[in-house]
Amino acid sequence: MLQAVILVVAQVMVLLAVSPFLVGLIRKVKARLQLRRGASVFQPYADLAKLFQKQPVISTTASWVFTATPYIVFASTLSAGLLVPTFISQTPMNFAGNIIALVYLLALGTFFLILAGLDAGSAFGGMGSSREAIVASLTEPAMILSIFAIALTNGSTSLSTIVQKTALLEGAVADPSPHLMALAALFIVALAETGRVPVDNPATHLELTMIHEAMVLEYSGRYLALLEWAAGLKLAVFLSLIANIFAPWGIATTPAPAAMMVGFLIYLVKIAVLAVVIGIIECMFAKLRLFRVTDLLGVAFILGLLGLLFFYILRS
Amino acid sequence: MTEARPCDNLLKAAFPTILQGDTICGESSHFQVPKDLLPTITRYLHTQPNLRGRLTLIWACDHRPVRDTYGLHYLFTLDASHHWVVLSCELAGNDRRFPSITPHVHAAKWYEREIRDMFGLIPEGHPDLRRLVRHDHWPKGTHPLRKDFPWNRVLGRQQGAYHFRRIEGEGVFEVPVGPIHAGIIESGHFRFSVAGEPIMQLELRLFWKHRGVEKLFEEQTLIGAVPLAERVSGDTTVGHSLAYCQAVETLLDLQVPRRAKYLRALFLELERLYNHLGDIGAMCNDTAYALAHAHCGRMKERIMQLNDRLTGSRFLRGVIRVGGVTRDIENRQLTNLVDELNRIQQDFSEVGAIIFANASLTDRLETTGVLDEQTAWDHAVMGVVGRASGMDCDLRRDRPFAAYDELPVNVALYRYGDVRARLRVRGDEIHESIRLIREIRSKIPDGPVAIEPSCSPNPGDWTLSAVEGWRGEILYMVMAGEDGRIHRCKVRDPSFVNWPAIQWTVPGNIIPDFPLINKSFNLSYAGNDL
Repeated sequence: MLQAVILVVAQVMVLLAVSPFLVGLIRKVKARLQLRRGASVFQPYADLAKLFQKQPVISTTASWVFTATPYIVFASTLSAGLLVPTFISQTPMNFAGNIIALVYLLALGTFFLILAGLDAGSAFGGMGSSREAIVASLTEPAMILSIFAIALTNGSTSLSTIVQKTALLEGAVADPSPHLMALAALFIVALAETGRVPVDNPATHLELTMIHEAMVLEYSGRYLALLEWAAGLKLAVFLSLIANIFAPWGIATTPAPAAMMVGFLIYLVKIAVLAVVIGIIECMFAKLRLFRVTDLLGVAFILGLLGLLFFYILRS
Repeated sequence: MTEARPCDNLLKAAFPTILQGDTICGESSHFQVPKDLLPTITRYLHTQPNLRGRLTLIWACDHRPVRDTYGLHYLFTLDASHHWVVLSCELAGNDRRFPSITPHVHAAKWYEREIRDMFGLIPEGHPDLRRLVRHDHWPKGTHPLRKDFPWNRVLGRQQGAYHFRRIEGEGVFEVPVGPIHAGIIESGHFRFSVAGEPIMQLELRLFWKHRGVEKLFEEQTLIGAVPLAERVSGDTTVGHSLAYCQAVETLLDLQVPRRAKYLRALFLELERLYNHLGDIGAMCNDTAYALAHAHCGRMKERIMQLNDRLTGSRFLRGVIRVGGVTRDIENRQLTNLVDELNRIQQDFSEVGAIIFANASLTDRLETTGVLDEQTAWDHAVMGVVGRASGMDCDLRRDRPFAAYDELPVNVALYRYGDVRARLRVRGDEIHESIRLIREIRSKIPDGPVAIEPSCSPNPGDWTLSAVEGWRGEILYMVMAGEDGRIHRCKVRDPSFVNWPAIQWTVPGNIIPDFPLINKSFNLSYAGNDL
């Protein structure tokens, strides 16, 4: 019992601590590739600290949805994070939900963010919300399909079991093609869900082009801090998911302190590498036209579907 | 007396009542016309296949301190010969009405509204008589360019509302953007009517930062107004100050030394370089392709540092003066400059290759914000935007000024009129500018770089001057007043002409592509608002 509590606390601490670092790291990589020195990778921590001290300003047209949303988004994203293995393959909340719960916990946050975008009554919030609704409705099936492909190969929808089996090479990874298809699909989904180039541009000042940023445009102070932190958490959740499902090697499979220590270090390296990859991608591509985003997410959907088909073909 | 030109004969044959007026600027025809004939003559000038006059400028002038009239002047540039035709008419006594030519010459629509706001003259038959420059909180009867309006008068406020064109229907809604923006952008209001993401209509509302520039000119002397001209649009310092100085030099009958003419061309090309580099980077940045933005920003900075080293000003302020330039550039410095520019050109070629090879970027740029050739012609669009839509005009070649009579320019011309074409025009012009600077280095003669003005012009003398700035044609009309002062100075930045055209490029595009289209035009708000 005590062990479970400690694990929950440890997981929460790790996710909260690591997520601003990932945001800072991506920015740093982009800056270096553009021949700029860039801000420190720890800048997002300072930004959060600053925002928490500022007084929030709330639109007079806003209802309770507007003020409740940051807490809901933050809590749902953090709960989703508790379902994903980070440094140890036993997720602290394994008893409470599986991979499908993860998808819909994230969707809950998105849903409220869309409502909040509409709630403030600005022209840009509405645009951001309608675009987010398009993106979210297309990423969801792609994500579900790719996750099913993996769940089927491992015979379980529990992320802990999937990671454990893959890490110990118990699952029949005789042919990795379903995994590779799912990896590609999930990676595209991760870019779309976390609002990165080529789907969205987190660095833009152009309100008319924004998706995620347009929805949070009216937020300030601690509300904005919570939403920014939640966005970082979502990034950490997706990177942990990709890192541990497709390359779980090195993760602690038993709660032994030494194994957990090693697992933690290896986990940090894995998600840092993924963050660097995202940074490089952001420098290589221009943002897609809004209506081409559907093509990209269609590709993710097809890849997920192929992963599923390959599983059945390989089995027979 | 110059030979009668074919266009003059054509006009005189068609309208025997027209009198041959004085010729100004060597290569232009000037006619006094009765005001009732204005629509007929301008229509003929605009549509006659052998003339195809492009409306270049309309300006008004308050002569009342001297004689009880308002002057109206219409400048057309003929398509093939690039010859200027000026039509003038006078409104005598209490006559405040003149016939609008907008129904036949579309490009006149903003000029006529501007004249109505600034002088209180009414263009009869104009299809859109909403206020343009005078926003609706300006009190009734405020016409700042009338001579009886003091330059420092403080205006009260009145209630008023501007009525935007509306599209109504199920699922159609309006998106107001600006005049306050999230980034460091000047003040402009954009009113979109959209059905989902696709734009059905865009209406612009500009002139938020009216500074009274033309009124301020009237408080200056001919020689002393150069700093004001430099500040009309901060990114076009050389273009505006050069156009102004050329006009004053014509009035003072000054022969600018040849070395000064070459240096003026050099500064103009340096200004073109840093702005085009910045624009290409900014366009890439609007598609989130930050890599190209960073590299273009780096090269722009190198050019601005070169400017600083050569002249002491990153924006080339204070280098153009009446009679020449304020500082000489030693030949050794010129050689260093060319070496540095050669390195930048190599750098830019590499970045350009990356930009044009990037499929994701090309997908964003192609077919976005198309300005077709007919629309461009109807709005008399010019400069970079015009040349991307097949408008083959460049004053450096068509009406050479400074040293361009000895520096032949290869004009970049594209027909597609999309964002990519505008990017390509800028890319080509960067290479061409560096080539021109190499040529300036090899051809520049020795000698003085300025001449002191000796006489003052007769009050009432006026002249036109045009310069191909980096955005396009900059026009100045300067009329001399008493004691070497300015009676009237009409400033026309290319932005004033190109802004309305942007409204025609966006319908059918989607909202998130608008910032990119706007950036590809990159028009000046300050140069437009005046």
